[in-house]
Amino acid sequence: MSFPTPSSSRQGDAAAPATPGLSRRAALGRLLAGGCALPGLGLAAPAFSGLAAVAAPQPRQGGYLRVAAAAAAITDTLDPARQSNQTDYIRGKMFYNGLTELDAHLNPLPALAESFASDDAQEWTFRLRRGVHFHDGKPLTPADVVYSLMRHKDPAVGSKANAIAAQIDSVAADGPQAVKVRLKAPNADLPVLMGTFHFHIVADGTTDFRLANGTGPYRCQEFRPGVRSIAVRNPGYWKPGRPYVDTIECVGIVDEVARVNALLSGDIDLVSAVNPRSALRIAATPGFTFMTTQSGQYSDLVMRQDRGPGANPDFVLALKYLMDRELMMKVIAQGHAMVGNDQPIDPTHTFYAPGLPQRPYDPERARFHLRKAGMAGARLPIVASPAATYSVEIALVLQYAAARVGLELEVKRMPVDGYWSNHWMKHPLSFGNINPRASADAVFTQFYQSTSAWNATGWKNLRFDQLLVAARSELDENRRRALYADMQALVHDECGSGIPLFIASIDGLSSRVKGLSQIPLGGLMGYSFAENVWLEG
Amino acid sequence: MPASSAPAPALPAEPPRRRLPRLPLPGLLGLAVILFWLATALFGPWLLSPEANAPGADEVFGRLGAAHPLGTDYLGRDILARLVLGAGYTVGVAIVATLLASAGGTALALLAAVRGGWADGTLSRLMDTLISIPSKLFALIMVAAFGSSVTLLALTAALIYVPGVFRIARSLAVNINAMDYVAVARSRGEGELYIMRHEILPNMLGPMLADLGLRFVYVVLLLAGLSFLGLGVQPPEADWGSLVRENLGGLPEGAPAVIVPALAIASLTIAVNLLIDNLPGRGER
Amino acid sequence: MNALVLRLIAARIGLALVSLLLVSAVVFAITALLPGDAAEEKLGLEATAETLAALRHEMGLDRPALLRYGDWLAGMAGGDPGRSVVSGALVGQLIASRLPNSLLLAGLTAAISVPLALGLGIAAAMWRGSRFDRAVSMGAVAVVSVPEFLIATLAVLLFAVQLRWLPALAYTGPDAELAELARAYALPVFSLCCVIISQMLRMTRAAVVDQLRAPYIEMLRLKGASPLRMVLRHALPNALGPIANAVALSLSYLLGGVIIVETIFNYPGVAKLMVDGVTQRDMPLVQTCAMLFCAAYLLLVTVADVLGIVSNPKLRHR
Repeated sequence: MSFPTPSSSRQGDAAAPATPGLSRRAALGRLLAGGCALPGLGLAAPAFSGLAAVAAPQPRQGGYLRVAAAAAAITDTLDPARQSNQTDYIRGKMFYNGLTELDAHLNPLPALAESFASDDAQEWTFRLRRGVHFHDGKPLTPADVVYSLMRHKDPAVGSKANAIAAQIDSVAADGPQAVKVRLKAPNADLPVLMGTFHFHIVADGTTDFRLANGTGPYRCQEFRPGVRSIAVRNPGYWKPGRPYVDTIECVGIVDEVARVNALLSGDIDLVSAVNPRSALRIAATPGFTFMTTQSGQYSDLVMRQDRGPGANPDFVLALKYLMDRELMMKVIAQGHAMVGNDQPIDPTHTFYAPGLPQRPYDPERARFHLRKAGMAGARLPIVASPAATYSVEIALVLQYAAARVGLELEVKRMPVDGYWSNHWMKHPLSFGNINPRASADAVFTQFYQSTSAWNATGWKNLRFDQLLVAARSELDENRRRALYADMQALVHDECGSGIPLFIASIDGLSSRVKGLSQIPLGGLMGYSFAENVWLEG
Repeated sequence: MPASSAPAPALPAEPPRRRLPRLPLPGLLGLAVILFWLATALFGPWLLSPEANAPGADEVFGRLGAAHPLGTDYLGRDILARLVLGAGYTVGVAIVATLLASAGGTALALLAAVRGGWADGTLSRLMDTLISIPSKLFALIMVAAFGSSVTLLALTAALIYVPGVFRIARSLAVNINAMDYVAVARSRGEGELYIMRHEILPNMLGPMLADLGLRFVYVVLLLAGLSFLGLGVQPPEADWGSLVRENLGGLPEGAPAVIVPALAIASLTIAVNLLIDNLPGRGER
Repeated sequence: MNALVLRLIAARIGLALVSLLLVSAVVFAITALLPGDAAEEKLGLEATAETLAALRHEMGLDRPALLRYGDWLAGMAGGDPGRSVVSGALVGQLIASRLPNSLLLAGLTAAISVPLALGLGIAAAMWRGSRFDRAVSMGAVAVVSVPEFLIATLAVLLFAVQLRWLPALAYTGPDAELAELARAYALPVFSLCCVIISQMLRMTRAAVVDQLRAPYIEMLRLKGASPLRMVLRHALPNALGPIANAVALSLSYLLGGVIIVETIFNYPGVAKLMVDGVTQRDMPLVQTCAMLFCAAYLLLVTVADVLGIVSNPKLRHR
């Protein structure tokens, strides 16, 4: 499934999905066309050597790039295990590498591991690339990998990947150039997980993260949490010719309007997390453009199924039918989103099941189910917060639709801080926000498996749990696809999670910045722009 | 504190009502604008159709037009309706908070000035403590701890501005307290309450009214600032500051959604100041 | 200087310690009500029971809050504000890295706004009722009637985005030249001046006008003193108390109150540091910042009070 497209069309795509009201099919087609440029080529050699032949502009060395992400706090960290926001991930991708890295379809490509294999999906062998050095000159060894992976299991490290790492049984060196990872149960997606931010490889025994010592394309020259970092080109990087830019200054600007103004005034060359309205403004300013990245990020209405009104399946269905998804996409996201279908796998994903019928906005059916649930005329609080992207706006649109069928929703907006620990999952009706996960298994396991701590709706479905385990140990691509399709249907029909939209992230950039493309883990090429972009003179 | 409730409420309400005919033109204008917004806040919501606050599909950041006289906001809602609904929050919260702060602050200041010594020291210390916590950070902690509600906002704003009023009022009152006529009154054997009400308060009324007007403006702006930080009146309800904030994205294109509420804030605050500046006995001699 | 002033200063230093203690207690009391703790905030969605417990232990949150507060106070008494719960860095260092930025911004703003406000205020009082007076008064009200974030955003849109004369972000890094510095600070200083100038100007005018109405000025007028002399020699010294108070209040705003300007210009000052501290439940950091603001404020009002006493003949000789 890889057909190289000329990279010039990729650049054109960058601005294309901006058209408001773009149909889902059209957007999807465009995404597939744009997204497939990299994978086949990226496997062995550096990707751009292949693309350059197809009339792409030659990457240019040198220059000073200023980039602004949307988060900044004194908790900014260079410790991969504790990184938690965009700015952290950008820095992670500049200074470190993982065993694998993810392509435009979130397939794992070799990185620090030049190959990886398993017979049973339970015991994996990662063969390490030769001649890779950390920034301090130390060569990469299996001991570094063992240390980097096993530290997630130590609660004292406070790793954000602690729960995911629980499935790792042991990590051990297998000769001087390979590592064996043994899991407690099979997981065909381990190479995908190894390409995510928290599993970046640090040098054995590292506990001081005031500066980063990694194998990545940039060395860390200055790092001041909450203020900025300065990254300088690593001349000994293991990808020949990369990276292109000499120095990257990275700051976090929390306020969106300020971020966009900094771009348009020429203070910053590249900004992440632009809202749809500003995207139009950027496009209208000569010398600037924007890029939309559709991903699996979604905000969902969490209806607790173990208590309150959500325990009644008819009430859940009524609210799902009350979501005017087209209106939400048009008004709230200005077209920079895809309509969701109450299941968490988005259309860009390999395992998306296209056969599932789309649930429409249908006030009459909603009224019917509401009556059947005995909830007509009821008055209920619904908890939203800017912490969950678009949730306040979604709640307002839902509130309006509900009022017309005789259900009074009282929107309660909660402040950002403390939302996840105090409100999410804690009310009969609240909103969640799930960042893009690298694999279908990760989303389903963390948020839908009945035993998960973050099973937000309290959904319990035995068949779903069985399918999940079966898919995890299945190495055959087609059989996995079928299993995931069944799971999507189950969630769509029965789970208390109402998913109106998959949210796209939008980056704004000066037209000097070239070489950016989409990786659906988030904006800025899934935060890995640093080794891919160059600056035009 | 026997004096705390007695003198202060007379401050803002009395003079304009009794001496209305003698107001010069700018003062009348200010009064008219204030009355207009008060009426809007009180009766406006009844005149709106229930559909007025609905998110619309047609256009976001719409221009002035027949269907939406003042344009539409970032969700396609009617700005006129949002403005009318917001008037209640802005005017109401600001008036309540300003009056509470001015009354409380002035009363405490009089007490401190007349009593002096121990009472003065304790009060000054307490006020210094309160005022030294930056207002927005104080509000941030309050909202994070208690959740945002209109009552909490009004109380927080009042609490924030009591010390400010106190400091200015005390400094005026201490000066006046050192005047000979106060000493005369004291030697006459007048009580503390009498000295506060009849000797000191009338003589500090001028600067205090100027302060009151500005204080009102500050409360309105504090609310707006809190909205900027996401701590103000919570959606779907919105005070005018929140309206400016939530539509700030429309500023580069000059959307009415951001300009109209900003003008509303400016008209209200300027009107209050016009009125106070032109109250009889001020500015002329 | 006289005995009263010296006594006042001595008393103020003693009372300042009480105030600081009070501030920390107030902040402690309110923050104790905040939902969630630093460990929960840090791990967010990804918290597991084990990592939460381990992190709480590492941060020392498994000890009672009062004990932690006591420890912090004890440390503070010895001049050591301790370590940030969240990042493990020394609170002193965190603040030291931000405070010069805040002081620079505050200093520049004060240097421009105070002379401007006082000059305009006195002039307006001298020619009260004139067109100049009306224009200045209306101007002050008009400027302060627009929300601060709107002024700042408008200024950025006009001068940074449209005209491209000035940068949209204020921070320059440690090794900036003077010209670059001036350009970078122009917009935030302008925004802040708009916010604080009005209060100072109006209080100056009101206080001077009040003095000019006093009987003793009438006497001077009858004696034929020149208007300028009347204002500068006689009215102003008596009005200095309230003016100094207004200036102190306005200036105290410049340290902790500038959170909006810091946000819009992405300026790494102490206000943002404290907001971060609150959202991350980093109590030692919040406490220390609050103390810092309190100390700065106390310093300013003490200076204002001394000025008030020194300038008021009646108080001076009491």
